[in-house]
Amino acid sequence: MKPSIRPLAFSVLGIVTALVIWQVLAEARVAGNALPSATTVFANLASTLGLGSFWSSLASTIGIALLALALSAVAGIVIGLLVGSFESVRYATLAVLEFLKPVPPIVILPLAVLVLGPTVEMSLFLVVFGCLLPIVMQTVDGVQSTDPVARDTARSYGMGEGEILARVVLPSAMPYIGTALRVAAPAALVVTVVAGLLGGGPGLGQSIYQAQAAGDYAGLYGLVIVLGLLGLLFQGATRVAERRVLHWHESYREVVP
Amino acid sequence: MMNVKMRNWLIGAGTPVLLLTAWWLSSENSTDPFFPPLRTILVRFQELWLFEHFQSDVLVSLGNLFLGFAIAAAAGVGIGCATALVPTVRWMVDPLIHFLRGIPPVALVPIFISLIGFGTEMRVASIALAALFPTMIATVDGIRSVSNDLMDVARVYRLSRRERLLNVLLPAATPQIFSGLQVSLQVAFIVMIASEMLGSSQGIGAMTLLAQQSFMTADMWAGILLLGVIGFLVNVLFGLLKHRVLSWYIGSRRMARAA
Repeated sequence: MKPSIRPLAFSVLGIVTALVIWQVLAEARVAGNALPSATTVFANLASTLGLGSFWSSLASTIGIALLALALSAVAGIVIGLLVGSFESVRYATLAVLEFLKPVPPIVILPLAVLVLGPTVEMSLFLVVFGCLLPIVMQTVDGVQSTDPVARDTARSYGMGEGEILARVVLPSAMPYIGTALRVAAPAALVVTVVAGLLGGGPGLGQSIYQAQAAGDYAGLYGLVIVLGLLGLLFQGATRVAERRVLHWHESYREVVP
Repeated sequence: MMNVKMRNWLIGAGTPVLLLTAWWLSSENSTDPFFPPLRTILVRFQELWLFEHFQSDVLVSLGNLFLGFAIAAAAGVGIGCATALVPTVRWMVDPLIHFLRGIPPVALVPIFISLIGFGTEMRVASIALAALFPTMIATVDGIRSVSNDLMDVARVYRLSRRERLLNVLLPAATPQIFSGLQVSLQVAFIVMIASEMLGSSQGIGAMTLLAQQSFMTADMWAGILLLGVIGFLVNVLFGLLKHRVLSWYIGSRRMARAA
């Protein structure tokens, strides 16, 4: 066996083994009806793929996650530039940001559901709440790390404050912002699902809740598999996007031998 | 110079106080059912959590959180080591790990409910499984990024496999492992709340959601406040632990930067 094939072969072997174990456990009925067999789940999933309701749930999950991500990115970068540029603003917000940062959006979910109801707005609000702060804090770090020599050089070339911000500070903060967005994109998907599952917002989270409540275990497992693939897709897509947008930056440049 | 420092410190400490005062004053006569006066919220906070439901709910929640996190930490480092050191294992489990990591951790809760019911086992198991992956992946990355020079030195000194793992690889990987543990802790906290909100009757999350559904807004706010404070404190405590354990690393980084 060629060495380059070996990892791939073992990966396939690993996946097949996991599926076989699953099938055997389900056939042995270790958990009664609660653990459907792999074949049942995939057959059920295949028939679900033909339903319009599945695709509209999938579309609203992706739509909410992306829209909220875009909103948090724009607001987060603007706030981050503002906070990072003025020392007094940074000190004023430090304690509040540090307190709010480790508080996940699920904590304020009851409040959001109470005020906004099980709506798209509720989901959007929760996702923005979850994604905004990390983007703000990374942008602030990025602004802080701007090379003072580059800033002074720009000033001595007669650039105004606005121009320096747009052409020196923002580009040098870009890798930080890129990292923040790469972390925020999968998180946006997770929060969208949480908002649906616990708050009744539209999307796949709600479908999971309904499947669980109705005892449709095959449907439940199928939806979780779809979410796993969707999560992989989000992670992969953001990594590619980050490389593309930041290809000029030294930490992303490819070394040509 | 001193003046600027003093001013910044004052601004930093003053803003939160100012915000809380503003909340207190603006909500003082509030009749809005969604936003009760802060005074009412604090009174309910004291009545609920100090200490009527402390043992029955707060301690239960925290116990599940720490048990689940401890299991995840031990298993994550253990499986991570095995995965990093044995290529065959790595090739076999890599795609599965990435797939499982892609699943939102909270979506695993309904599966655990259907498998083992609504009890404490379900909550601990969901927390442990969801929190496993960040630690495990960080352990694999940490061990695999240990420099070859270090391993060569270990080989020259004829360290045994065991010594190499315990005295060279694991210490060198601790900074990354601790970053993974911190993410795991945050995930564990989220799943703790989610597992209580999904059809359980015990725990802070359950009480908060129940209060919301029965329109007892002050109770709901008290729950949100407590969860926020716990989330913050747990993170701070972990930060202190990390600082202690990694003091050698932080010191060496500072030296390297000064040089």
